[in-house]
Amino acid sequence: MTDTTSPDFQSVITPPPADSLVLEVKKLNFFYGQNQALYDVNLPVKKNAITALIGPSGCGKSTLLRIINRIYDLYPGQRAEGVIDFEGENIIGPNVDLVALRARIGMVFQKPTPFPMSIYDNVAFGVRLHSSKSKSELDEIVETSLRRAALWEEVKDKLTKSGLGLSGGQQQRLCVARGIAVNPEILLLDEPASALDPISTAKLEDTLEELKTDYTIVIVTHNLQQAARLSDYTGFMFLGKMIEFGPTEELFVKPKVDKTGEYIGGRFG
Amino acid sequence: MDRALRRKIANYIFIGLCIIGTAIALGALALILWSLFSQGIGGMNLKIFTMDTPAAGSEGGLRNAIVGSILMCGVGMIIAVVIGILAGTWLAEIGGDTAYGHVVRFLNDVLLSAPSILIGLFVYELLVFKSNPLSLGHFSGWAGAISLAILATPIVTRTTEDILNLQPNALREAGMALGASQFTTIRTIIWKAAGSGLLTGGLLGFARISGETAPLLFTALGNQFYNGDLSQPMASLPVTMFNFALTPYADLNKLAWAGALLVAVAVLAVNILGRWLARDKNSH
Repeated sequence: MTDTTSPDFQSVITPPPADSLVLEVKKLNFFYGQNQALYDVNLPVKKNAITALIGPSGCGKSTLLRIINRIYDLYPGQRAEGVIDFEGENIIGPNVDLVALRARIGMVFQKPTPFPMSIYDNVAFGVRLHSSKSKSELDEIVETSLRRAALWEEVKDKLTKSGLGLSGGQQQRLCVARGIAVNPEILLLDEPASALDPISTAKLEDTLEELKTDYTIVIVTHNLQQAARLSDYTGFMFLGKMIEFGPTEELFVKPKVDKTGEYIGGRFG
Repeated sequence: MDRALRRKIANYIFIGLCIIGTAIALGALALILWSLFSQGIGGMNLKIFTMDTPAAGSEGGLRNAIVGSILMCGVGMIIAVVIGILAGTWLAEIGGDTAYGHVVRFLNDVLLSAPSILIGLFVYELLVFKSNPLSLGHFSGWAGAISLAILATPIVTRTTEDILNLQPNALREAGMALGASQFTTIRTIIWKAAGSGLLTGGLLGFARISGETAPLLFTALGNQFYNGDLSQPMASLPVTMFNFALTPYADLNKLAWAGALLVAVAVLAVNILGRWLARDKNSH
């Protein structure tokens, strides 16, 4: 029972080569109780690349991200219809192992959410859930993850101190380290820099840039420059629809849809 | 009179009333503490802890009552904390929004304000009165501990739910996003984040039951002799205080005051200890 009463916009998708996709969202509709939030959204996600989602507040970009690892399942009354094809499996189907799915698709949130435990335990948390590792293996994973999140140098002497004692930027990089420690295939980031100062933001962006050699990253951002700087592909969403999707450079320089150009040009948003 | 002046005067009157109200409340508290301290300190000596409650005219202490209070409050708190934290967690994290959850919350609030003497009568009917199959058939420390548990449980339940509701949803989502189950998320993240608040709930419950007399009168009754066996009638500080304060003998009155001071000091000490244990370990 798809409700298609949203204002009609054309949707122009310029997908990456089909064999380079790791995940594909097809005709996704999403409902918060009676209210429809997403309308027939399509999103191809390229492997080992950064895909950015932009659009004005309330356009559904965070909602879309939260469907991809099924965080919406925590809230009764929210439901998704359509297909999210992740390596041959529809992950919004009924018989999906959510624990396994979330180990493969990690997420970093808008506000830093360090757990009330030591820095070491924060990073080891997910690893301990999914496998039993020896102390030395775990030490190594923690160090590697913190290094990759560009936090190791700052915390290596205080791993046993609480993660809550770090600055906001460090906490967010700790959350990135925690996310990549379980070695996910995809990392979802929901406006990860919105609570950070410019220096921390720059460090986080460097981190993401380096991570994309091994991980697929999908990032929601309010910051157009950030999307332009970081991403390989960008999707522009508006009123619950995917208006335009394509290579970042094309989308920013020669948008195919007028609405995209208006948003990028700062005429609304 | 112009408007600005009128507003100013109204403001001063309001602030004045607030100050008077605060002064009355604090003054009453200071008077209570002062009389407790000045009257209780005279009866304080080592014998309080080494000798049992005496008959009028002979020497004695409060050992049996102290041990009884510690045992019954201890057992009562263990029961209340286990049930209260689980029930509060269920209300906050799992079933609080269901119709059943609303009923449970409402009944818990009713229990929260139930007169303690009713709880005592209920437990008397259940565990002391002879005709009941569950009953021991006589007054006992168990009956006392259980009535105290019934008094403390709703307090722990309520504070647990309130404290867990204060924890940000982002924390739950972050736990789940790493693939943790709801149980793991609650146990390793949410309870930990809420630790000091959960402890406060326990302390509030303890402070409430440590001075309760009415429910113990019908259940543990009291005991003139030393008894560490919960299945027998058991002495407690509040009941001993109640009995001794009513006698015309000055030495027993003195012991009652000493017992009152002891209860107040114990509540204070447990509070300080609890806050120290839950102190913010994250500040550096």
